[in-house]
Amino acid sequence: MLQPEALQLRTEGRDEQQERRLSESEEGNNPFSFTPQIIRLHKDHELFEDGDIHRHMYLQDLYISEAEDKPALSVSEFACHISGCSGVFSALEEYEHHYNALHRHVCCSCRRSLPSARLLDIHIQEWHDSLFTILAQKQDMYQCLVEGCGQTFRTNKHRKDHLIRIHKYPPDFRFDKTKKERGKEQKDAAMEVVDDVCESEGVCEVMCNSPSDEPEGGESMETHECEEKATTEDVLAAAQDTESTAPRKPQYSYRIPNTVCFGHGSVRGFRGRRGRRK
Amino acid sequence: MWRLNKVRHKAGQQGGSLEELRLKRRENERALRQARRDRQLVSKRLLLNEDEEQPDVSMDTAPGGHDIVSLLHKLQHSGTEKEAHLKALSKVLRDPAAQLTFIKHENSMHLLVGLLTGSNAQCRLQAVRCLHELSHSSHTNVAPACLPATPYLLTYLSGPSTKFTELCLYTLGNMCPDSDVVREKLLAQGIIPALASCIENQRHTLAVVEAAAFTLSQLLQARDAPEKIIPIVLKSTLPSHLLSVLTPDPQFGLAPAIECAWCLHYLICSTDDNKELLAQGALSQCSSLLVSLGGAVTEGNKEDGIELLIWPLLRCVGNILSSCPEEDLNAQLTDAHLPASLCALVQAYLHTLPALARETVWVLNNLTAHSTEFCSALLTLNLVPGLIQLLPFSQGINTMILRILANIAHKKKVFCVQLMQLGLLSALCATLKMADQEMVIQSLDILFMMTVSSPVVAEEFVRQDGLSLLEVLQYNGAAEMRQRSTYLLEKHLLSYQQHITVDNMPDP
Repeated sequence: MLQPEALQLRTEGRDEQQERRLSESEEGNNPFSFTPQIIRLHKDHELFEDGDIHRHMYLQDLYISEAEDKPALSVSEFACHISGCSGVFSALEEYEHHYNALHRHVCCSCRRSLPSARLLDIHIQEWHDSLFTILAQKQDMYQCLVEGCGQTFRTNKHRKDHLIRIHKYPPDFRFDKTKKERGKEQKDAAMEVVDDVCESEGVCEVMCNSPSDEPEGGESMETHECEEKATTEDVLAAAQDTESTAPRKPQYSYRIPNTVCFGHGSVRGFRGRRGRRK
Repeated sequence: MWRLNKVRHKAGQQGGSLEELRLKRRENERALRQARRDRQLVSKRLLLNEDEEQPDVSMDTAPGGHDIVSLLHKLQHSGTEKEAHLKALSKVLRDPAAQLTFIKHENSMHLLVGLLTGSNAQCRLQAVRCLHELSHSSHTNVAPACLPATPYLLTYLSGPSTKFTELCLYTLGNMCPDSDVVREKLLAQGIIPALASCIENQRHTLAVVEAAAFTLSQLLQARDAPEKIIPIVLKSTLPSHLLSVLTPDPQFGLAPAIECAWCLHYLICSTDDNKELLAQGALSQCSSLLVSLGGAVTEGNKEDGIELLIWPLLRCVGNILSSCPEEDLNAQLTDAHLPASLCALVQAYLHTLPALARETVWVLNNLTAHSTEFCSALLTLNLVPGLIQLLPFSQGINTMILRILANIAHKKKVFCVQLMQLGLLSALCATLKMADQEMVIQSLDILFMMTVSSPVVAEEFVRQDGLSLLEVLQYNGAAEMRQRSTYLLEKHLLSYQQHITVDNMPDP
């Protein structure tokens, strides 16, 4: 009979897994706790509710062969698990779009989210690279933001003009904010990025603020990040009243250290400037 | 005997609008759900006369009060027209107010019992019909008033007349839920042995079998059943009789099998140790029947009400598996088609009855939890891709599916590799992004088992860009997620990291 053999195979198979797992748990701190379990359900368990109702409808002569209202089959939602981000999405594509837009190309230094790897590069260069600042005094360092154009400029104002004149960026797109409104401007700028990631204007705004406008201090950066990652509606609402805006209570309250930045592989900080990633 | 009412069909005949009926059904359903939450889910059955199609209160019953008194008076004093008066009485007793008047009236029950046990067979039939109407009352103090009749009803269970026996049975069945006192008396009067011999002797009269099983199911649902009723039932011959009637008769229909299956479900889920039922072949019979029903459903043979039989069978198998030691599983479960049938049932009912699909998936979990054979079967029979496709569906379905997949991964390293080849890793990359915390944690658990099993799996996960998912989870609010993702990254996957880090970014 096959029985004894099968039994042997079974224990062998289990042994190899058990062995591995035993050695794992010996290492300690192994948080994984799954074990296969037979689940017993008692008569009044909630899982049994629908079936019981069907049964009793039948007993009471209320049974019909086809359900009139088809019970809705629920589909799991997706959620962005990045701490501080509370995005929830009904489809995986939406999630991916959100992630790519907001979390993929993130500057480690100032937490700003850029729409593409190239713009992230440019941002880091212009905002966080002191060498750039030095070189820019003597050469045309400011690149045109439009891919393929290749032109460079001495100041960011020159670049702004070029973008408006040659590449037809709208002239009235917040380019004339003065330094006094810097605080509001920066938050708006960040919101532009969040709000309408595909429009380069928003990015340009981020670029075109002089690098010295970059926010200082760790605390404000944290705040900044939370706001940035709020949902679009909140962002628009917050745009009305930026000074008194407290960041929306993040869904996860676990704080991310300054030294850590997310994003798929393209996350960068300026080399050597920030600490190592864990 | 019950025909499943096709309400839609009847609506036209009765002249009531379809919308009204729909509203009524929805209201009833809501009431039933609330009753279940209050642990007071009770139903009674009314056996209609041959000439009736629907229970109809409106006919020629005037408000009951005067009628009752006058009818009782007539019954007491008339000679030859007793039968006619009883018939009239039974019609009047359809009305709830009349029922209350009747039981309040002195000697009314005494009179009725006298007629129930008298020499006139027709009068006996009409008398039991009166009692049946009374038993159907929603007032809980009507049933206790009928107690004087019960010893006789029980005696009559072994009688020859089908209609009469049916009425006795449904009357007793209706009385059971109403009070502890009623049940105590019935038990003392020997209702269990009476039901057992009734089913045994009248096994071929399926209408009677159905009625007896219904009555038993009423007893088994009582609050105090696990202590007071179920032990007695398990010691009797009832379980084996129930099992023997389980296979539906193609001509008579599903009804008796439905009642028996629900009885078995109440028996199994109320006791922790089902060794006796196992020994009597409960698991093998229920599972074989599930396989044939699953086959019928897949072929499109969805007989009306078939889910009313599938449901309790699923529960029987699901729960009784916990009493079956692993070594005996193969001996008990002789039908190797069970996993495939269960998967077929899930697909068949996923959109129409998701709750049924959910329970089916629960059974699959119990089947695969401790059995390498069944885990292997899911792989060899190519049932896993179908399960993976169910991972988007929430409300208990996808979490249970992950359990099943975890059961498989837990058994053997080679299973993990096979699961990877079937696309589980990319599915996990999606489930790790779900909002449901349980889904994420379970996904991490499976991921751990799989990456530990073989470097091939770990490499593939990294190749599919899974590391970034884990990195994100390291800072999640839930400790279970943080601990698991950190552990996985640091202990197992760091060596496979190939993406650019801050330190080795190339020069611009």
